[in-house]
Amino acid sequence: MNLAKEQKLINKQLKASKKARLKRMKQDGILTPEDIKYNRKKAFGGFAFPLFRFFILFGLCFVILYPIIFMLSTAFRPSQQMSDPSVVWIPKSLTLSNIKDVWEVMDFTGSVLNTLELNIISSLLSLITCSLTGYGFARFKFKGKKFLFAIVIFMIIVPPQITTIPIFLQYTYFDLFKIPTLLTGDCINLIDSPITMYAPALFGCGIRSGLFIFIFCQFFKGLPKELEDAAYLDGCNPFRTYIQIIIPNAKSSFLTVFLFSIVWYWNDYYISSSFFTKSTTVALQLKNLNITLSQQLFDGASVSTRQIIVWLEAGCLISILPLLIMYIFLQKYFVEGIERSGLGGA
Amino acid sequence: MKNKNVKNNKNIKSKKKPSYERKKSLYGYGFIALWFVGMIYFFILPLIKCFRYSFYDTKPINGKMELTNFGFHNYINAFTTNTDYLQALVSVLKDTAIKTPLILIFSIFVATILNQKFRGRTFVRSVFFLPVIIATGPVIEIINGNMSSGGYAGGSEQFSSMFQTDLVSQVLEFIGVYGISDKLEMAIQAVTGQIFNLVWNSGIQILLFLSALQNISVSAKEAAQIEGATSWEFFWKVTLPYISPMILASVVYTIVDSFISTDNPVMQIVLSKASEWQHGYSAAMAWIYFAIVGIVLAIVALFVNKFVYYEVE
Repeated sequence: MNLAKEQKLINKQLKASKKARLKRMKQDGILTPEDIKYNRKKAFGGFAFPLFRFFILFGLCFVILYPIIFMLSTAFRPSQQMSDPSVVWIPKSLTLSNIKDVWEVMDFTGSVLNTLELNIISSLLSLITCSLTGYGFARFKFKGKKFLFAIVIFMIIVPPQITTIPIFLQYTYFDLFKIPTLLTGDCINLIDSPITMYAPALFGCGIRSGLFIFIFCQFFKGLPKELEDAAYLDGCNPFRTYIQIIIPNAKSSFLTVFLFSIVWYWNDYYISSSFFTKSTTVALQLKNLNITLSQQLFDGASVSTRQIIVWLEAGCLISILPLLIMYIFLQKYFVEGIERSGLGGA
Repeated sequence: MKNKNVKNNKNIKSKKKPSYERKKSLYGYGFIALWFVGMIYFFILPLIKCFRYSFYDTKPINGKMELTNFGFHNYINAFTTNTDYLQALVSVLKDTAIKTPLILIFSIFVATILNQKFRGRTFVRSVFFLPVIIATGPVIEIINGNMSSGGYAGGSEQFSSMFQTDLVSQVLEFIGVYGISDKLEMAIQAVTGQIFNLVWNSGIQILLFLSALQNISVSAKEAAQIEGATSWEFFWKVTLPYISPMILASVVYTIVDSFISTDNPVMQIVLSKASEWQHGYSAAMAWIYFAIVGIVLAIVALFVNKFVYYEVE
């Protein structure tokens, strides 16, 4: 804090001395007309550009915040006021009933707890495996490394939609090496069990794991090698080195990947909709909100989006609220973490 | 002969440990082992299965895919009987071709601005990365108003219509430009109408460019300043070469992102066929699509790579 203040003071002094010098130079007549022109241009630019920048940024921020402002504006207004032409942004009266209704329709408490459990466990598992794999790729030489890394890149590019159906079949009649058949006499149906999310995460094939491996690999490549060499000399084996030396040094990158992982698991509906028959996660509830709303609030009558928009927006709001709160508190790690970690050096 | 060798080796080895390098490479395998197993079971195997389905008529019976009628008919049908498919393919390619350069230019522009020092920078930055957090989920569909085709326009459509209601031509007339050619006006309107999608889709790219911009060494900046470079020259001759590796990365990311997003028409056809239990057909279409995406990516990557400046280390 103090340092920043000092810096500011120094900057101020510098500016003042610069101005004084310019003035003196003008009086002495050292400046050529070109110099004067250049200085004037610079002064104009110094004034005009921030203004221009302000307008651009203001406009773009507005574009981004527009839907969120809209969400806030509609989520708390009574439904009748949606078709009231005299209400544009600020509703005439505020109500919490939309939120309450949606909360019930989405079974929000249960969904959130369920989603959180799924999210955190999957993210932690995928964090462990992806970091291990990334470290393996970053620091060790072995045969076929290039080929295997190409597969990592391929994993980033192939959309999950392609592989979901075969994986679905693998889960429905889960029979790896015939072990389940030997134990229980039949293959196991894993659909609807959270293992369908945990297992791929544990084995480094969860949601966007390829990207995480890539990020970790880039990040570990940037760490100084001397750290580990010192540990090796002291007789540490690579796994212990990884746990005791690398992890403490890579905290920020771990946190960044963990946060992104949480966000993507929270938002995922495609994979969970193929492996869960009931909508038990927030994203699935939100995806089906249109249908469940008309069933539970309008007795199954078909309704236009305009009629239920307040509930839809209220649902949106409570679904992204946990993410938003997390983002506000940890925004530093989202924005600066990724700069310092992997992607920065790529 | 071989036996003898082995025996000899054994004698030596029992005294000597395996070399350091060998040991290290074994540890390397140890580190990636978990992923390797999973990659085979959760990625390669399904991928091969999916590829196999594409040559058959499929029928899911009792958990196993019943495969009948081997041949290339799925691939041929995709082009001959399903007229939507080809159309969707062309429209996706066209869309991506327009979108990618726009997103690139826009995100470089924004990243350069966000890299400057000004008041409220942290706030603006966090606003710009908000889409990264929200746009991957189902929320964006409600925001975009395409949940149902009912009479309601969501945030994005409302926003675009704010611009599109002839605002552009009004502004032009206000400036004093009349009767500008219709095509140009259409182009301008297309851009302004897309502003919402543009901003909401370029979060990651801005992040990439921002990190690249922060890696530009201070010495390069100082050298340019001493030589009297204007900021315009600085941008073209220093900034751009420095961030060019990231341009490649963002081009690839943008193209992949636009190709695999679930709301592009080809993906929708593929998914709808899959939900109609025509897995073989859908797999064939997915693979054709994939081959095209791969070719496009390869061409673009090769082309862009020519202009990429790598710092010699």
